[in-house]
Amino acid sequence: MLKVENLNAGYKELHILFDVNAKIEKKKVTTIVGPNGSGKSTLLKAIFGLATIHSGKVYLNGSEITRVPAHEKTKLGLAYLPQTDNVFANLTVEENLKIAGYTLNEEEVDERIAIALDAFPELERFMKRKAGTLSGGERQFLAIATALVRKAYVLMLDEPTAQLAPKFAELIFERILDLRDRYHLTILLVEQNVQRALEISDNAYLLISGRVAFEGKARDLLEHEKFEKLVIGIVD
Amino acid sequence: MSVVEGAIVYSNLLVLLSVGLTMTYITTGVPNFAQGSFAVFGSYISLSLLRLYEVHPYHTIPLAFVLGGFLGVGVYILVLRPLIRREASIVILMIATLALDLILLGIIGAYSDFLAGLTHRSATRFIFTPYDFNIAGISAILFTSTAVIAISILALFILLYKTKFGVALRASMENPDLAEVMGVNVEYTRLFSWFLSGALAAMAGTLLPFRQEIVPSTGAIIIVSIFAASIVGGLANINGALLGGYIIGFSESLLTYNLSTVFGTGVLLYSKVISLSVLVVMLILAPRGLTGINWRRVIWSKSSSP
Repeated sequence: MLKVENLNAGYKELHILFDVNAKIEKKKVTTIVGPNGSGKSTLLKAIFGLATIHSGKVYLNGSEITRVPAHEKTKLGLAYLPQTDNVFANLTVEENLKIAGYTLNEEEVDERIAIALDAFPELERFMKRKAGTLSGGERQFLAIATALVRKAYVLMLDEPTAQLAPKFAELIFERILDLRDRYHLTILLVEQNVQRALEISDNAYLLISGRVAFEGKARDLLEHEKFEKLVIGIVD
Repeated sequence: MSVVEGAIVYSNLLVLLSVGLTMTYITTGVPNFAQGSFAVFGSYISLSLLRLYEVHPYHTIPLAFVLGGFLGVGVYILVLRPLIRREASIVILMIATLALDLILLGIIGAYSDFLAGLTHRSATRFIFTPYDFNIAGISAILFTSTAVIAISILALFILLYKTKFGVALRASMENPDLAEVMGVNVEYTRLFSWFLSGALAAMAGTLLPFRQEIVPSTGAIIIVSIFAASIVGGLANINGALLGGYIIGFSESLLTYNLSTVFGTGVLLYSKVISLSVLVVMLILAPRGLTGINWRRVIWSKSSSP
């Protein structure tokens, strides 16, 4: 589905990722974990075309998409949700959903909004409200709903539970599983809540200092005898 | 034309100019010091058509709109976009537009000589008031400028709030990175905002000679008021340009007139002092302009104070 090959990336001259290789399996949840500054978010940005790729390649369904501009990647079914500022605060919920379907025709947009509202029915009450007035959890629902409108089949979520109350965070995790199972989405997740993220994931990658330190089943990482040391970046 | 009529006309034109300035500032981060010269470009389009083909200046509005739009796009593509791509700071961008303003001044000055040679009439100083007429005892420019601003603002409102591209434009203004993530080609929205900015300025320029005398350097004088209007309203909000345009337009026209009745007509030469004074006061009290003030909090704190 999504493949990253010998990726070296960062921001301008700043090198953050070193020879990263990853294969994101179809219709599975893959979590990227690692200590702060290990390059988790940069990996998502590099895949989406928002970070500087120094070398290496990114493939989607066998086609190379390394240099495809970000706005074109949306059309290919790839959706990326930034960690912060992931909705337009000054636009209404309805406008946020509509703009998410910018590359689709009008009928498709209505169809996709119906699907998004089916997945996040709580948004229906707020359609005419500005997104900036929603709570953190509601905003995150809206952000994920916009990805559904985008007709994406690969969803890249950058810390979707950051700064959320535990109750809302748990709801987000439940919805992520729901999206995988009901809509057969491939989900690439970056999370600070490592334990819970790995529990809901099929596969996992551990990044330490911009390099892959573990790849395999999420459960294997979770049950690794040095799990606690690994996720804070200590490798013997 | 009465003082109040003159103030309304001037404010209408100032709004057109400041809306364009605010728009390009929001979308591309460029404080365009050449906006005044964009207007003078429009004035010379009207003058050329009037002198060469006897087309009434009111009829030149559509052509000025289109050519002004092309000027805006040309300036963005040829000068500003390359600088933005090289991550030029706001100071560099500001200096670039100042340089552009001087270049435009030179070109317009040379063109005015060329036009004078063609028509055997001076084109370095002109006014359109002799070509205006009255409707029910009121000068037509009042109706025309009001109609132009009403149509422009209505069209802009419909575009921004009722069309897919308009929502994309607002989204790009708020968060261009996220808009890109949503599949919006943000570059198109930037090009469009420069087109619109140039078009609105040139359109204002076709009407400005009905209110004041135009010389090639008029742009350098009115830019003070344009910036004052945009900043007083709030540079981060298009509605701010509307609000600021009327506040600066009215205060500049009416206060200067009232002061001139007390201190003599010499005061009229210093009308820009009013705009700058309002600007300075606003920068001290509310640096983000009127639309940047959290009015709910202000009202709440007033009502909750003992």
